[in-house]
Amino acid sequence: MKNTIKVERAKKNWTQADLAKHIGISRQGLNSIETGKFIPSTVLALRMAKAFNTTVEVLFQLDDTEQ
Amino acid sequence: MFTYLYEAKHSTSIFMERSGKNESQNSVIFALIYGATYLPAAWLLKHQMIGKPLSIIVAIIPIITFAVFVLKLIKAFSVMDEVRQRVQLEAVVIGFSLTAMLIMLLFLLELCGVSNPGWFGYGHLVGYCWLFYFVGWFVSKKKYDV
Repeated sequence: MKNTIKVERAKKNWTQADLAKHIGISRQGLNSIETGKFIPSTVLALRMAKAFNTTVEVLFQLDDTEQ
Repeated sequence: MFTYLYEAKHSTSIFMERSGKNESQNSVIFALIYGATYLPAAWLLKHQMIGKPLSIIVAIIPIITFAVFVLKLIKAFSVMDEVRQRVQLEAVVIGFSLTAMLIMLLFLLELCGVSNPGWFGYGHLVGYCWLFYFVGWFVSKKKYDV
């Protein structure tokens, strides 16, 4: 699973801590999601998409091998 | 209006994070209280320094503090974020699996007459159980980099 969290964060000029506060998780937890080590639940992905005013599909995409 | 909603949502997530931290701290405090009751109780009972009726009470006290600790841990688990929940879940699964394996191995070895109660008594198994939980916790923390 690929994600564009870092790109979206950069667009908003948010640090990991800022985004983590917005979506109610720890900074370390967000780092784990951003680096692809942990795949978030649907609720958290939707909350993240809402924070960025975008959709889940923009934030998360399946890898070529997963499709 | 939107600013108000944003602030309300923001403060809710901060509140969630703080309450999660408080619950985690509470569970650590109760773990320490459990340890502070278990170790002296084990020492007192091992050296048979008190009479039988009092021994039973001393034996029950750490069980009560452990039960309170488990309740606090469950409460802390419910307010953790999902990454931390996964780490705890994997730690418990690894800890439980390794403890079950050790108990099975000891049982089978006992059946064939090979056992060493000096190293693998009930008291030691409690220690191994905690050790395996921390092994699982360490492995899972490394896996998710938290």
